[in-house]
Amino acid sequence: MNPILLKLGEAVEFGKVDMNSPYPPQMKGQDGADELAGQALKNGVPASDVLTEALVPAMDRVGQKFSENKIFVPQMLMSAKAMSAAMKHLKPFFQSGDVKTKGTFIVGTVKGDLHDIGKNLVAMMVEGGGWNIVDLGVDVNEDQFSQAVSENPGAVVGLSALLTTTMANMEVIVNKIKETHPGTKILVGGAPLNDDFRIRIGADFYSPDPRGAVEYLKELVA
Amino acid sequence: MQTVRIKLHPLGKELSVARGSSLIDVLHEFGVEFPCGGKGDCGKCKVKILHGEIPLDKIHSSRLQELGLPGEWRLACMSHVDGDIVLEVGQYEAMIQADESLFSFEPGEGYGVAVDLGTTTLVAQLMDLSTAKVLAVETGLNPQRRWGSDLVSRLEAALTGSKEELTRVIREEIGGMLNRLVAGKEFSVNRVVIVGNSVMHHLFSGSDIRLLSFFPFESPDMGIKHFSAGELDWNIVCNNISFYPCIGSFVGSDILAGIHATGMWRRKEISVLVDLGTNGEIVAGNSDRLLCASTAAGPAFEGARISRGMLATTGAISTVEQVGADISCRVIGNVPAEGICGSGLIDAIAVLLDRGDLGDFGEILSGDPEVILARNVSLTARDIQEFQLAKAAIATGLDIILRKLGVHAEEVARVYIAGAFGNYINLEKMVRTGMMEFAPGHFRKLGNTALMGTKMFLFSGEDATDPILDLTRHVSLESEEDFQDIFVENLTFNRSSS
Repeated sequence: MNPILLKLGEAVEFGKVDMNSPYPPQMKGQDGADELAGQALKNGVPASDVLTEALVPAMDRVGQKFSENKIFVPQMLMSAKAMSAAMKHLKPFFQSGDVKTKGTFIVGTVKGDLHDIGKNLVAMMVEGGGWNIVDLGVDVNEDQFSQAVSENPGAVVGLSALLTTTMANMEVIVNKIKETHPGTKILVGGAPLNDDFRIRIGADFYSPDPRGAVEYLKELVA
Repeated sequence: MQTVRIKLHPLGKELSVARGSSLIDVLHEFGVEFPCGGKGDCGKCKVKILHGEIPLDKIHSSRLQELGLPGEWRLACMSHVDGDIVLEVGQYEAMIQADESLFSFEPGEGYGVAVDLGTTTLVAQLMDLSTAKVLAVETGLNPQRRWGSDLVSRLEAALTGSKEELTRVIREEIGGMLNRLVAGKEFSVNRVVIVGNSVMHHLFSGSDIRLLSFFPFESPDMGIKHFSAGELDWNIVCNNISFYPCIGSFVGSDILAGIHATGMWRRKEISVLVDLGTNGEIVAGNSDRLLCASTAAGPAFEGARISRGMLATTGAISTVEQVGADISCRVIGNVPAEGICGSGLIDAIAVLLDRGDLGDFGEILSGDPEVILARNVSLTARDIQEFQLAKAAIATGLDIILRKLGVHAEEVARVYIAGAFGNYINLEKMVRTGMMEFAPGHFRKLGNTALMGTKMFLFSGEDATDPILDLTRHVSLESEEDFQDIFVENLTFNRSSS
């Protein structure tokens, strides 16, 4: 494999955002994901290879380590940041159609809730899995979700909640989407949730970690 | 295990504890504060031996001499009990204001009760309003805990049908404490002042909690609430019972009382108050303006969410130190360790960081799933992560509030640390974890500032809270655009060395 892609994969896996970022200490002064992605494209590596050979497998390893409790939220967010730095270089190729995405994933933290770290992690992991992300932000109500599905036909929707008091709003949102856009797949996640709750509110999938969401989406388009 | 009996005057309390127990542990549970943190410097924890003996060592005698205390006096923070004793607790004789000057009160008439209604713990003190002396103390645990340790679980329970029950159990519990406080007394209580966070305020009063349960977490019903004993189904005679007003969002009258007790609202210099209770409140500012926030950091410090976590009571590891090559733990009550309380957790993390056992992201570098602290008590990788979330919540709250005030950490003159386990907290170790990054010399440990301020409220009219409420604004931390970046940075350790 191209040594730049190998290095880029490592930078994303260990959360090396750019040359100036202090984390991880053992990579101090080295190029980060930002520089490496730029170099790869300049050297003529196709954008789709940068995505599928470096970013996707790196985020997969991150997801794996997270589900095995080997790394924790800060490392994962550092990796997400590194990936996002690399993605900036790829964005033009997405828009020109040189890189094909697997589909569109609409994500948001539900009404009444402002917690977005979990939602952002999932968005980054899914983006790393080759999906186009529409991030609606936090405190998103049922009409905003429904509107976003209208604008992105066939999109998959992800709902996030951290508070037990806002979990209840998920049901309202699921009902609305299923009513206005039957057949839309809806994923739910967040610390207080479980699969029983997912079944009760009529959503399609629940995962305790971001990796499960990526796997589910992979199967959906397989 | 051999036990000895301790009798406390003027409370009339009798208890039995393990022989060799330190008095700091025993008295801590009765609301006695240790302002200098147990170094024997301040003399505020003095006790008079009415019967029995507490042996003196060299350091202890020289401290007593320096403080000018005669022969029958001891410092509780330096004392261990080896035999049955009867003690008079000096602190109940003079009410001390938190910022180290004596509280100069206008003597009132009759008797009052100050109640700190915490999410986890309850404390009530009966005061003689003509002398400001504490006549009796009752402590307890909030019976709402069975619906969950944190505020959001209580709100959820209230939203899903248990609201009346939550109101009933807390009124009943406090009513019981009041009964015990006045039992056998020949007078009636003239006034009861209760403080607590906004959720406690709403649940006690029976107010609508729906608007407190969702963003932006603002209820219209934040004012002072008045009751008569009859309305609350209490067996005492008293028509002047009030739950003091909330500040904003979850930040309630317990913090209002804390601000009052520290005097920070009267001074020009910038002070910070951090209450390490369940709700983890932070207040910062001066006589021009105060900003406050709550951080939901507390449950980790009160034992919830930590696999071997517990409150600062008998059996809890309260301090952890590196001695030679080993980790050494001190256990409250001098018994085998059963778990670890907040101060022990902070110490343990600091010691593990100094030993090089933890990486910058909190990972256990040996690759083991847990670190053993004592026989039966370990910290798991998950526990360490819970600690990181809690310390990052506090650190982020401080970063955002100080930034909003336009103040740098170096410009903060005083940092007051309040909270149930505050007596045991080791400030250097807390700074080591990165939870707060102020110079250790700026800290003051104050213990329960909510109770202190509430007792002071008993000596003035209800309008005493007006100037503080006018100055103080609530900040919604998570609405800040870069909240996540600051939070993530604070989750890591060794920020300054990177």
